[in-house]
Amino acid sequence: MKNQSLWWEICEESLSVESVSKYLFDSRAGGVDIFVGITREWTHDKHTKMLSYDCYVPMALKEMKALLDDAVERWPVVKACILHRTGLVPSAHPSVIIGVATPHRKDAFEACRFLIDQLKIRVPIWKKETYADGSEEWVDPTGKHSPPLQP
Amino acid sequence: MITFKILLFSILKEKVGQDTIELKVASSLTGEQLLDKLSSDYDSIHSFRSVIRLAVNESYVHESIELTNGDEVALITPVSGG
Repeated sequence: MKNQSLWWEICEESLSVESVSKYLFDSRAGGVDIFVGITREWTHDKHTKMLSYDCYVPMALKEMKALLDDAVERWPVVKACILHRTGLVPSAHPSVIIGVATPHRKDAFEACRFLIDQLKIRVPIWKKETYADGSEEWVDPTGKHSPPLQP
Repeated sequence: MITFKILLFSILKEKVGQDTIELKVASSLTGEQLLDKLSSDYDSIHSFRSVIRLAVNESYVHESIELTNGDEVALITPVSGG
């Protein structure tokens, strides 16, 4: 979903940083911050082949819009966006792009950080690691569950 | 009779082996009572009980919420987007 100042979307296809910068570049802004989360191949000694994402799509979209609205309340946002991919994401490919355009850079940095930090707490999206040895594991940020599932 | 649709995602979907549970109960329930019932019916839900957040009709709610007929309830284990 996209309007004049906010864009939020769950995509099954690859994400384009170029389309985000095109949307955010606006003559009312002086600073544009774009955060891109990509699939990391190595976490300590674990070798990741790809990530796959599960998502409660309608609620995720509502939560993303609520986060953007919060950012608009707190910072002088000219434009902002949150795009998240679902399905399989190979290593080095983007899974999330967050962008904020504000008149001055400080606000863009702060709002962008707020959006990615809150997304990781509130938005109902889950990632599963598929390792090079074929085993799989749902990422558990609390560290309490999810022993690796053998292939 | 009151009917709820319960949505499961990620690890709960895998462990339970389905993405939806249809539940019919005789009288109204709170979120907490629903979670207690699901925990006793499904071992895998029981093992995640302490970290599950409840969402009703696509919004996070407190477990004290009184559920009403036809509510769509989602069991949200710790999220890991990004």
